Amino acid sequence: MNKSNTVISLQKVSKTYEGPPPVKAINGVSIEIQDKEFVAIVGESGSGKTTLLNIIGLLDGVTRGKVYIDGEDTTKLSDDELSKLRGEKIGFIFQSFFLLPGLTAQENVAEGLLYQGFDRKSRLEKAAKVLKQVGLSDRMNHLPKELSGGQQQRVAIARALVQNPSYILADEPTGNLDKESGSNILKILRELNKEGKTVVMITHNSEHAKAFDRTITLTDGRVAS
Amino acid sequence: MKNKLGLSDIYSVAVYGIRARKGRSIMTSIGIGIGIAAIVAVIGISASGKADLIATLESLGTNLIKASPTSGFFGTQDDLPKGVLGMVERIGPVEEVTSTTQTDLLVRRSKFISELEGGGISVIVTNPELLDVVGGSLVEGRFIEPGLSRLPVATLGSITAKRLGINNLDVPTKILINNQWFGVIGIVEKLSIHPDLDRSVFIGYSVAKELFDIESEPSTIYLRANPTYIEDVVDVLAPTMNPENPDQVEVSRPSDALEAQEAAEEAFTTLLLGLGSVALLVGGVAIANVMVMSVLERRMEIGVRRSIGATRSEIRTQFLLESILLAGFGGLVGVLLGSGITIGYTRYADITFSIPVGQVLGAIILALVIGALAGLYPAIRASKVQPAEAVRS
Repeated sequence: MNKSNTVISLQKVSKTYEGPPPVKAINGVSIEIQDKEFVAIVGESGSGKTTLLNIIGLLDGVTRGKVYIDGEDTTKLSDDELSKLRGEKIGFIFQSFFLLPGLTAQENVAEGLLYQGFDRKSRLEKAAKVLKQVGLSDRMNHLPKELSGGQQQRVAIARALVQNPSYILADEPTGNLDKESGSNILKILRELNKEGKTVVMITHNSEHAKAFDRTITLTDGRVAS
Repeated sequence: MKNKLGLSDIYSVAVYGIRARKGRSIMTSIGIGIGIAAIVAVIGISASGKADLIATLESLGTNLIKASPTSGFFGTQDDLPKGVLGMVERIGPVEEVTSTTQTDLLVRRSKFISELEGGGISVIVTNPELLDVVGGSLVEGRFIEPGLSRLPVATLGSITAKRLGINNLDVPTKILINNQWFGVIGIVEKLSIHPDLDRSVFIGYSVAKELFDIESEPSTIYLRANPTYIEDVVDVLAPTMNPENPDQVEVSRPSDALEAQEAAEEAFTTLLLGLGSVALLVGGVAIANVMVMSVLERRMEIGVRRSIGATRSEIRTQFLLESILLAGFGGLVGVLLGSGITIGYTRYADITFSIPVGQVLGAIILALVIGALAGLYPAIRASKVQPAEAVRS
């Protein structure tokens, strides 16, 4: 693949959680992710998958090494600048959906634009559009507890999408879902990838892993293949 | 980098946090509410009391002076020297002067009441000017006017009327004074600064002399003087009335007594304000406590907000504003409650309602400041939550 297409690049990244006892979660990992790639991260529990995804998504810092997003060395950025980058370029999807329980589906999605300087009206309008895209236009005014797990995860995807990020990072988004809902979510992510988003997803499901362009396997904080 | 959140956005985010935990939010606000209610009620009641006092002082005037003989060694009152009225009248700044004579006559409603049950009512022999000089007025009827002095008629003080069960003069009413019937011709409005007069029955000098052989020797003198020279009059009054033994004359200004009473009430008010402040402090600690808990519980929310682009300062502002809103809500409820208590009290005590707006605003601002202080530590904690740890499921 052409080097110039590399959008996310980790160089000899290590992450040690201060103990006691200190835990070396990531140990000298170097990976490159290309534009519009559809990548799965797999590995045993405790192999460092989530830590790696959080480092890629700038939610977590590194102990050593460099993290480049769109060619920019993010290890040199301030906390506020990292927040800005997360808000503009990265959409997160979590295993447990993490919707705010007191807000409707539409309001939850609109929350994704809260820190981008849009007024409330345009936030809600954009949220409605994205909810339609994930097939939930008839559930806009429902609270999370009134939605099924699959529907909640689609709301969470809509929240990640609403800010139009270049990268979608998903931490086992199908882990809490039944088989059918899980496949459905995977299908949505695949479609988003086809529309031009770079998607990095952690999965335990070996069947799902087959659907990806590339699989990164972690073992004890190192890349196995 | 400055916050991208508009004011209304920050507000709605903070309100979300409060709304999502309604019961707890209300209970958290109660502490502040009680503190502010206590402070507002104390301020309101004391201000109303003061307004009432000022009104009383204004209606009575501060230039009223009362002079009477000091109590003797055995508690008996000496008489004032003869001709004392004339001597007092000659003091320059004295404008009006009148005298009364205390008696030990017995007052009863009828003959069926034992002579031992006088009820603490005393009969005062008075000149017609007394009511004007002490600044009194009548609930109804007449005072002992010049032409009535020789008739067996009496005017009642307000407490006397109540004790004798005479609420109005719709039907002709008589009372017994030492076995002589007297017609009741009037009831005097409560004087409050002269409780002794409120407990009296007033009769004229001529009838007192005729029926009970009471001489017109004054036992108490009431006078009004030019306010500018009031202190001077107080100074010379005793030596004028009794040049030989000026220390046997007791001179008092009823307004002084009222002012002293006010000063005592002010000290009490300060104490209550102190208690209110303690309640506020406890309320503030409660808010801080709940906010710290809230930060722990809402790590997920904080993590999500950080992942969608919230900066530390935006998270801090959110939690700080939540705390301020909680306190502000409590403060508002406290002001309403405190005002309600004040209104209730002023109705009950029949005094003029007065609440100083500035101090009430001050109380609300105080609540907001307490909210801000209480929220500071939790807000800083919230902003320091590591996003990666917060989103670990």
